[in-house]
Amino acid sequence: MIISILMTVGIVAGIGGFFALLLIIAESTLMNYGECTITINDKKKITEKGGSSLLTTLNNNKIFLSSACGGRGSCGFCKCKILKGGGPLLPTELPFLDEQEKKDMVRLACQVKVKEDISIEIPEDIFAIQEFAGKVTSIKDMTYDIKELTIELTMPKEIEFKAGQYVQFVAPRYEKSRQSVTRAYSISSNPDHKKFIELIVRKVPDGLCTTYIHDYLKEGDTVNFTGPFGDFLIQDTHKDMIFIAGGSGKAPVKSMLEYLKAHKSKRKMTYLFGARTEKDLYHVELMKKLEDDLEHFEFVPILSKPDEGSKWSGKTGYIMPFLKEFIGKPENTEAYLCGSPGMIDAVIKELHNLKITDEQIFFDPFS
Amino acid sequence: MKKTPQEKKIQQNLQPGVITLTGFLGNDHRFYQDIIEEDKNMLIELCITPDEVADRLQYFTDLAWDSYDGPIIIDEVYQVEYKSYRGKIPCPFLHPGLFPKGTITLRNLFCQKEICWTPLNIHMIRKHCFFEGKGTPHRIEPNEIIEILFCKES
Amino acid sequence: MELNVFILFMAAIFTSNILLTNFLGMCSYLSVSRQIESSLGLGFAVFFVMTCTTALNYFVYYFVLVPLDIVYLQYIIFIIVIAAFVQLTEMVIERLSPVLYYSLGIFLPLITVNCAILGVSLFMVIRNYSFIQSVAFGAGSGIGWLLAILALAGIRQKVNDTFVPAGLRGAGLSLIITGIMALGFIGFSGIAVIQ
Repeated sequence: MIISILMTVGIVAGIGGFFALLLIIAESTLMNYGECTITINDKKKITEKGGSSLLTTLNNNKIFLSSACGGRGSCGFCKCKILKGGGPLLPTELPFLDEQEKKDMVRLACQVKVKEDISIEIPEDIFAIQEFAGKVTSIKDMTYDIKELTIELTMPKEIEFKAGQYVQFVAPRYEKSRQSVTRAYSISSNPDHKKFIELIVRKVPDGLCTTYIHDYLKEGDTVNFTGPFGDFLIQDTHKDMIFIAGGSGKAPVKSMLEYLKAHKSKRKMTYLFGARTEKDLYHVELMKKLEDDLEHFEFVPILSKPDEGSKWSGKTGYIMPFLKEFIGKPENTEAYLCGSPGMIDAVIKELHNLKITDEQIFFDPFS
Repeated sequence: MKKTPQEKKIQQNLQPGVITLTGFLGNDHRFYQDIIEEDKNMLIELCITPDEVADRLQYFTDLAWDSYDGPIIIDEVYQVEYKSYRGKIPCPFLHPGLFPKGTITLRNLFCQKEICWTPLNIHMIRKHCFFEGKGTPHRIEPNEIIEILFCKES
Repeated sequence: MELNVFILFMAAIFTSNILLTNFLGMCSYLSVSRQIESSLGLGFAVFFVMTCTTALNYFVYYFVLVPLDIVYLQYIIFIIVIAAFVQLTEMVIERLSPVLYYSLGIFLPLITVNCAILGVSLFMVIRNYSFIQSVAFGAGSGIGWLLAILALAGIRQKVNDTFVPAGLRGAGLSLIITGIMALGFIGFSGIAVIQ
């Protein structure tokens, strides 16, 4: 009786064990893609164990393709050309690629799995993007919903960026968020200062990252970010510059103005800062000082709904009607816009009316 | 009841702290398909399609967008305001596409009721018939739609 | 049992439909039938797994369990075989064809606990089918399951845009529809009897 029980248990265990072994062998042969070599732009070669997505494999080797959705296949930002070895086009990639891109062998890096040797092509400036760690040395309240962070870099200790660029800030898992999220914030400090950066962050209702920054981040905390990204840059011309930015959009403008001041630019500059009430104004003293330091700079705050009973003596209303007052020759003017998408759209329409063409209008695409 | 891996993933995406801070389910902890079915049946009873609701919300959204900073009065009865923010947000229903961030608030001056929604809500109503769970700030109760969005004068 | 293989195959699809006559495999049937595309994917996955596991379990039963006189262990052993086979299939599909994996492979974890698959193997044992008969029976049952889930998905698609009283939503109405379909399939029962 005992023998038959033992025999039964033994046989079941044996058969179960046999199949478990089969699965282990299968996993180590089928799911093992071995070492795969990724050749980038025909020059750089990376050898990694296959099996992960191309985006993850590149990230592990410190090459950061931009991604707004963290590799989930929702944003379509991580496009790159795969010349050889990407496998068939997947149904999850199709909605993001137009006919020309399909012909050019453009794929989504987050959906392509590295299973064999791959040869890819990416823009050269991606190599300049790095991962940074820093310590928050100050968090200042600018207004009721805007904070300014100063982050001193710890690893690496310096950052090279151009005025107007942004970083992808990583908010870790915290009480309100189940996973880490990344969000883009423009750098507001002068690029000549390489050892630290400043960010201006406005609280977004229901926002995962801004809630972390406003309610949970403390001075002394370590933060991580990647960057620098962005093509919203000072154009190297002598044309007049008109900046139109409101709210946290002041960040890249402040970076540009401080850079231009440090390099003693003589260009004619005007900054129209649109806000609702006096409570939304900040860094006014700083702007007034820039007016003294720069040869031709005027700061024009415009309030659309100043509080009743306030002593506001500046301009009131929306920005658009004031644009023509500050634009000299349209063909000699460049417009730099940063702010909420609604404002940017409305301002562009008015700029077109004032004969400023799209080639002279610059703004951050992630708006 | 068994759920496919995609349905489990969608239910996960709708939780607080995954895509947005408060999530899309509010106080309702049912499976999202049950919420959609209940609201869909309510719309059928009210003889209105999700497309009609989405079109009406889009109508207000477009007009409020043009007046980007501050409430405007539409059709003499609706006070609408659009606050837009930088950045984009994906749809929790696992298909590609990003939607602008922003909140549109509408107050019906006649019945004095207020609702708010985002561009993502318009998409979710149109394509998935999903009005969010009860208790979220962006939930629009189907049985109040006619009163708030379509009712004009006394 | 001396039964023409082709008749067995057709009977497994229509007159002894594993789902509508024997009511096996209802769980994933009720939940996945909301959409036609996922029903198609799951249906094909069930068909494939059912056919292969019936064949595999035939060998396991007659060449392992019977010689060792442990036929009472068939329930456990069949489940182990089915689970291992599904895992293996998932790995093979993921390796060989990512496109197929996205349309079919994602349903494989749902199939491991589908009682229709175990049921078909057990019926094969009870009714003493030969190898060819077993394969035909497995394939036919798989196709029958696929047809049943497709039919329910199609009907649910139509019902989707109509008003359903609160008490009947979801599983309630689906079970009533399934019952009516089963009644319809009883009409086939005089053609060939295999159970």
